Amino acid sequence: MSIKIAPFLPQLLRSLFKKPVTVKYPFEKEAVPQGFRGTVVFNPAKCIGCNICVNDCPAEAIDIIRVSETEKKFKMILHNDRCIHCAQCVDSCPTKTYHMDLEYEVAAFSRHALKIEYK
Amino acid sequence: MAILKPILYILVYPGLIFLMVYSTFCEWFDRKLYARMQNRIGPLHTGRSGILQPVADIIKLFAKEDIVPEKADKHMFSALPVFALAIVCTAALYLPVWHYTDAPSFISFPGDLIVVAYLLTLPTLIFFLAGWHSTNYFSAIGGVRVLTMLFGYEIPLLLALLSPAVLAGSWRLLEITRFYQEQPLLLLANLIGFFIAVIALQAKLERVPFDIPHAETEIVGGQFTEYSGKKLAFFRLLGDIEMVVGAGLISAVFLGGFPGGLLPGLAWFILKTLFIVFLLAAMRAATSRIRIDQMISFSWRWLAPLGVLQLFIVIIIKGNLS
Amino acid sequence: MEYKVALGPQHPALHEAVSLRMTLDGEIIRDADLKLGYSHRGIEKLAEERSFIQNIYLTERICGICSHSHTTCFTQGVEQLMELVPARRGLYIRTLIAELERVHSHLLWLGVAGQEAGFESFFMYTWRDREVVLDILEWISGNRVHYAMNTFGGVRRDIDELQKKKILDNLGLLRQRTDYYLNLAASEPTFIGRLAGVGKLSKEQAIALCAVGPTLRASGVPMDVRKDDPYAVYDEIPFEVCTADSCDVLGRAVVRVKELIQSYNMIEFILQNLPEGPFKVKAPRKVKPNEVYSRYEAPRGENVHYIKSNGSDKPERLKVRAPTLANYPATIAMLKSGFIADIPLIFAAIDPCICCAERLVQLDNPRSGESQVLSFSQLRSMANAHYKKIDLTKKEAAWPF
Repeated sequence: MSIKIAPFLPQLLRSLFKKPVTVKYPFEKEAVPQGFRGTVVFNPAKCIGCNICVNDCPAEAIDIIRVSETEKKFKMILHNDRCIHCAQCVDSCPTKTYHMDLEYEVAAFSRHALKIEYK
Repeated sequence: MAILKPILYILVYPGLIFLMVYSTFCEWFDRKLYARMQNRIGPLHTGRSGILQPVADIIKLFAKEDIVPEKADKHMFSALPVFALAIVCTAALYLPVWHYTDAPSFISFPGDLIVVAYLLTLPTLIFFLAGWHSTNYFSAIGGVRVLTMLFGYEIPLLLALLSPAVLAGSWRLLEITRFYQEQPLLLLANLIGFFIAVIALQAKLERVPFDIPHAETEIVGGQFTEYSGKKLAFFRLLGDIEMVVGAGLISAVFLGGFPGGLLPGLAWFILKTLFIVFLLAAMRAATSRIRIDQMISFSWRWLAPLGVLQLFIVIIIKGNLS
Repeated sequence: MEYKVALGPQHPALHEAVSLRMTLDGEIIRDADLKLGYSHRGIEKLAEERSFIQNIYLTERICGICSHSHTTCFTQGVEQLMELVPARRGLYIRTLIAELERVHSHLLWLGVAGQEAGFESFFMYTWRDREVVLDILEWISGNRVHYAMNTFGGVRRDIDELQKKKILDNLGLLRQRTDYYLNLAASEPTFIGRLAGVGKLSKEQAIALCAVGPTLRASGVPMDVRKDDPYAVYDEIPFEVCTADSCDVLGRAVVRVKELIQSYNMIEFILQNLPEGPFKVKAPRKVKPNEVYSRYEAPRGENVHYIKSNGSDKPERLKVRAPTLANYPATIAMLKSGFIADIPLIFAAIDPCICCAERLVQLDNPRSGESQVLSFSQLRSMANAHYKKIDLTKKEAAWPF
């Protein structure tokens, strides 16, 4: 351990003439990597209505509703205000009905506006 | 006409209007430098590259609710910020910025260096009173820390300001600056004193590493904990103006003043004070806050003996000159 | 004159709400006390209502900084209950994430120490470089803070060659910056002055007060769950347990920086020796009745989960002991006879994670010493009685000065 006078100063003065690293976020957006867990996307054509995703979802954010009495057709309601973006539904689904997109700006003024319906 | 000049002096330059505008600019400059040294952007959106951000902060504070603690002395609590601001603005009038060599300003008199140093000490006392009258434990601790720090930095600062005055043979700021403008090489003799004065000014302004009285992670807001709204805005403005006056004083005494009449003098004033602000910002960025006992021992172990050494150097040089 | 000051629950030095009661004599602390229970969240009760798979994500949210620690601790406990042998590649990736998390947590701590000491530039620089680790974690797991990598039987995502190369590239930068910070923290006089000799905790005291993690190791006790009771693949990875003998906050900082360098070595080793094969095996949904005690060395110290299963797909009981709780008694001992200025540093030096530590509220009868469980309506009537008793009109507060 050796005590120096102002050992940080050279680095600070060098930074003075460098571009700042701050990202001006709302004006300039950074790209997120592939595989980012954004918003859940549902493909109704593939769903078989097994309800595994509903049981496994830790946040109880998924509702699967049968659309017609005769056909095996389902719609999904995603409560994005409750979703914790863990992608367990993607893992659990036996028919690969789910995937995650790269959307990360999901804020809204009302929680009802965050409800997404996939038919 | 005779009365116009003092009014201009008090209200426009270097009085109220100039001080308000320039001190907010200095705060912006300081914040921007500090941010850039840390790889950040700093103020950005208000005005061009955030230049109006300090003004916006003060306007915001003026619009905020103003709360006086139940147990506090209301008159004292409200009067203190105004007094402090008035005192610092008065000190600014003594800066030798607007005088022609043959017609000194109406306010300059032999010994005004001591008066400026004295006026710059008074806000410290007011900070203590503000902390004490807030009836809050954190404020009281902050107030006591203000006074304890005063014993640390005040004497080195006076010793440092003393040496150039001794060399110039005058206590009058005007004559000191004139002396060094005629013999600029002699400024080098006061180099140690210059650095002592900058460090002591940092302590007087209560900035890192000497922001002990209002160390936010320890005692919340220190002496300003209970202050809000307009009163806090006054204290903030006071801090900025104190920085300008302190920087002006150091540049008048150690950097040869502001020669050349009104406009070149103004240019010199801005250049030299910004240089001092740059030094202060660099010191703020490069250090961490120290403890109150470390601050006192630092100033008595290093600053005060160096101040005495500076005085000896000056006396020897003066003996050789004459 | 002695007087009492309450730091918190809301205070700029505390990033979460906890109440520190200080008895001060001028600038010197004479006595210290800690009041917990301000940010109790009821996570253990919630865990009893959820299936094991859902609980992985619940335990992840116990802590924001050591999120992987809690899931790993829970997952490896449940794997023992299931009598499941996880995939080896999965365990390697799990360890990789754990070490990356340790890097990000320790860099975060360095910044917090700088901020508490009023060294803002240090804070800004360490947090700038912490972004590199967070970006790595985002590439691997898809998120910056809650990685959600663990599942029963392994991990949920594999690592490909491109990611491997990217991590190794960035590791060089991190190594260089860490060396710089080590030199800086050891040569900046104001920073050393604040850290050295502050918050002394002797070896005997540290053992007697059951300190864990870097707090314990900085008192010269080489105790680390990764070495003493290896989990995952730590018995296959070479590393040293870092200790310091100075027993103060500076020692804790040095231990953390040394651990950073160890973590970089471990990450490199893991990436070079990543075994081929599947990264997860299939796990059953239901668990036989049994109980298990799982240990994990989180960045802050030993993390413990106790899990009891009853044959269903939900745990009967989950008990979490976060490392911060174990460090509280040592903190109180360290705070005594320090300066006011040392409070934030000493408290930050255990890297407190207050919400993680607040698990249980138990109301004891102070007269008989019996514990009792109160219902919500009883609590409500007690609160009403309390507020009726105290006079809500303005009181004459005592101001001693």
